[in-house]
Amino acid sequence: MAGPFESYDNLDDADERLGAADPGERRVAIIALGHSGDPAAVRHLSGMVADPNAGVRQQVAMALGEFDGPESAAALAKLLVDPEPAVAHAAADSMAEFKDPACADAILPLVKHGHAFVRMGALRALKELRRKDTLKPALEALRDSDAAVRVQAIGVIGFLKLEESIPALTASTGDSDAHVRRAAVSALAFSQLKPAAESITRTLGDEDWMVREMAAETLGQNANGMVAADQLIAALTDDFWQVRLKAIRSLGKMKIDRAVLPIGKCITHEQANLRKEAAAALGEIADPAAEPFLVLVANDSDPEVRKNARWALQRIFAKKAKTSS
Amino acid sequence: MAMDEIVDGLSEVSCDVLVIGGGTAGPMAALKAKLKNPKANVVLLEKANVKRSGAISMGMDGLNNAVIPGYATPEQYTKEITIANDGIVDQKAVYKYAQNCYKIIEELDSFGIRFLKNENGDYAVKKVHHIGTYVLPMPNGETVKKAIYRQLRRARILISNRYMATRLLTSSDGRVAGAISVNTRTAEMLVIKAKAVILCMGAAGRLGLPTSGYMFGTYENAANSGDGYAMAYHAGAALANLECFQINPLIKDYNGPACAYVAGPFGAFTANNEGSRFIECDYWSGQMMLEFYNELSSGKGPVFLQLSHLHEKTIEEIESTLHKVERPTRGLFQKGRGTDYRTESIEMHISEIGFCSGHSASGVLVDDFARTTVPGLYAAGDMASVPHNYMLGAFTNGSVAGTDAMEFADNHDFAAFDAADVAKERDRVMAPTKREDGIPPNQIEYKARRLVNDYLQPPKVTRKFELGQRRLAEVREDMEQQMIARNSHELLRALETQSILDCADMAAHASLYREESRWGLYHLRTDFPEKDNENWFCHTLLSKKDGKMTSEKRDVEPYVVPIADEEKDLYDKQRIRASA
Amino acid sequence: MPLASYQTFVPVVVDDAKCIADKGCTVCVDVCPLDVLRISDMTGKAFMAYDECWYCMPCEADCPTGAVTVNIPYLLR
Repeated sequence: MAGPFESYDNLDDADERLGAADPGERRVAIIALGHSGDPAAVRHLSGMVADPNAGVRQQVAMALGEFDGPESAAALAKLLVDPEPAVAHAAADSMAEFKDPACADAILPLVKHGHAFVRMGALRALKELRRKDTLKPALEALRDSDAAVRVQAIGVIGFLKLEESIPALTASTGDSDAHVRRAAVSALAFSQLKPAAESITRTLGDEDWMVREMAAETLGQNANGMVAADQLIAALTDDFWQVRLKAIRSLGKMKIDRAVLPIGKCITHEQANLRKEAAAALGEIADPAAEPFLVLVANDSDPEVRKNARWALQRIFAKKAKTSS
Repeated sequence: MAMDEIVDGLSEVSCDVLVIGGGTAGPMAALKAKLKNPKANVVLLEKANVKRSGAISMGMDGLNNAVIPGYATPEQYTKEITIANDGIVDQKAVYKYAQNCYKIIEELDSFGIRFLKNENGDYAVKKVHHIGTYVLPMPNGETVKKAIYRQLRRARILISNRYMATRLLTSSDGRVAGAISVNTRTAEMLVIKAKAVILCMGAAGRLGLPTSGYMFGTYENAANSGDGYAMAYHAGAALANLECFQINPLIKDYNGPACAYVAGPFGAFTANNEGSRFIECDYWSGQMMLEFYNELSSGKGPVFLQLSHLHEKTIEEIESTLHKVERPTRGLFQKGRGTDYRTESIEMHISEIGFCSGHSASGVLVDDFARTTVPGLYAAGDMASVPHNYMLGAFTNGSVAGTDAMEFADNHDFAAFDAADVAKERDRVMAPTKREDGIPPNQIEYKARRLVNDYLQPPKVTRKFELGQRRLAEVREDMEQQMIARNSHELLRALETQSILDCADMAAHASLYREESRWGLYHLRTDFPEKDNENWFCHTLLSKKDGKMTSEKRDVEPYVVPIADEEKDLYDKQRIRASA
Repeated sequence: MPLASYQTFVPVVVDDAKCIADKGCTVCVDVCPLDVLRISDMTGKAFMAYDECWYCMPCEADCPTGAVTVNIPYLLR
């Protein structure tokens, strides 16, 4: 300690401390290097990736996470392929926090590694780096045999937000794995164009409810979401109230007049969340035809429902007053 | 050397900007001060260790007041906060926060803090309130402190851990001159001269006693004993609306958040014993807490957080956040109780009282530059008066404070202070270590906090408050004459006890001054049950004048975001009960 | 006036076999917000010296060898 302050001279005896015979002592030295904040620590830490003790290597993987940059990424790339799972996991977590695009050089080759965990960890780290040359390997990874890898590949593609990848993401909405399909729908949200909206619309018929839920939600964020109005209306009778809820919200946002009746029919559903969203959406649309439905729940037992119903009725009355005057 | 042995010693250092408190606002203030003038010396003083100190010791599960373009506007946010605080708001600081916070989110993201993103890399903002959309989850929020600490090291901030600041030093003309602190493991004293000082010392969360009876089982990090409030008070700064207590809805006994903000967007809700929702209010506010309190004390309690109607996959998702971030021992607690969210609801209760602007509006008065009423002294985070700040407010206003404080330091020399003040403070601090025997701090603290529960908890009854003041004065007498600390750790607790008692006195004084009811449960006075806009549509400022605690009124500054009558109506109408 | 001490069941437990405090590690003692952990002069291992726990977890989460376990304090279990 330098007087009352934390020391900034952690590197002075680093080599000696890292060379200690006891693995516990080496770990303590690594922890200190990780906290040093001194970029020169990376060189010392990189020298420890082949330590015979797995606990020490795990500590190195954690400490390297403190230093965003290509040199640190190169050392972590070696630890990501470590046979000890705890070491590989620590390396994957550390990598995922990096933002410096230059880190991609060391990470990219691992996208073709023999182990699925390595491929997944590499793609996860590449997402935030948003480098254009990661697109091609990510597109190839969409055909990976492991679903978790494919999910991460979609992230890499989605984060890049390139219209040219719409066809590939669309293809992934037909993946055999539900998590992949859901991720693909979420990724498509970046595009405000019709092709993306149309691709998402098709997934409203997915067999998995969480995919349908994501589709119903995402359409509300797309400027061309109204191409899906009829399918969203059909989704109002979905077996899962979670899907209906998102469909109601999106239809309300889009102010689809012809949805008033089918939304109105949802307003007596036993799930209060659904009644509340139905009332709110009818308020957004503010069509006088919704009045009888809203009156039904104006004194609902749930305060959220009646608040929204009253708010909706107020909007309808205001609209009526405007048109009659 | 024996454990925590007392070493008698005093040294002095100086710096340009001194930041006290290394939790959330403090590190950001220190970083921004250093960024403003890289050649200047910035000291960050912390009672615990910056690596894991403050309210977000284990990170945070999300932002609940993120104003993100496309989801909410600064104007809309300012209106909501104004209405949630019954209009008693200086909007300038709130509006400035709302304008700046998105930039801070992006900066935190660049630090490596993980916010929930869609698969296209956009922030996945969630809707909780009817009007605005402000919730941004942080599924890996446990990385927050680590990421911030990394930035501090990189900027080579001078970090001083395990020093508890006890008093501010001021010059004869009232400017801040530095602070006095004591090492919590050796009792050595350190005087830090500074041109500007920023207080980021958190809430006064160890004020009331949790119903579990465990003194450290508080809602707030139990290290947040209100030292900042006490220090600001003794330095002559004004404190605003302290009667607007912090009270939160929490998991019963565990005393941590459940947390409705995490589970809400997935469809969870607060219900009474009949399984029905009862909360009318839209925003987490005193009004909501009053509804909670009423339900608990009516025959319809207990109150629960209801999750069992959600799908298995959804519950798994909620659990993965609740049991990893902010208060990760939640999972352990529920397991011990045998509570499975799939079949059972979580029993809820309301917390002990405290001061905290992060959740309510009780804090050291600051303007939109985080300046207090003492020249050169700043405050940010839970202890500063910008209402409903939460974590993002601490980061954002800490940033404002750091920049402005460095500008102040660049334009001013050190203020002179009287050496006798240091000697006097040293005597005061060390007094409990000089006694042969007496009452240990834990007993004095327990008694003071038990009295806070008995007499100061809302609903506030004038007669009870007067009795409470009398009893607290007796405890103060014991504390000043008989408290004993046998080692430096006990001295830390002894000094915290003094902050707690100061806060209790301020809570009582401020509450008696405002002769109306406002902010729902936070200031519910049975002798003045109505809101009185004619006489009390104002801030109250508490400060030390000629050694005495005084309160005064202060006008609410003209709004920068006007609120139309029909908008106020909208909110009021939303509060109409079913029977109305 | 003599002081009496009374017994309490401490929430934080350290596995001495895993703890490397004797190798110079001070992680758990460093990170505790309430400063309740110490390293024993006798065993060289970390232990909970003061029952003033916020059951917040940094000691357990940051321990490099997984030696620390945080339990919920008995009074609120």
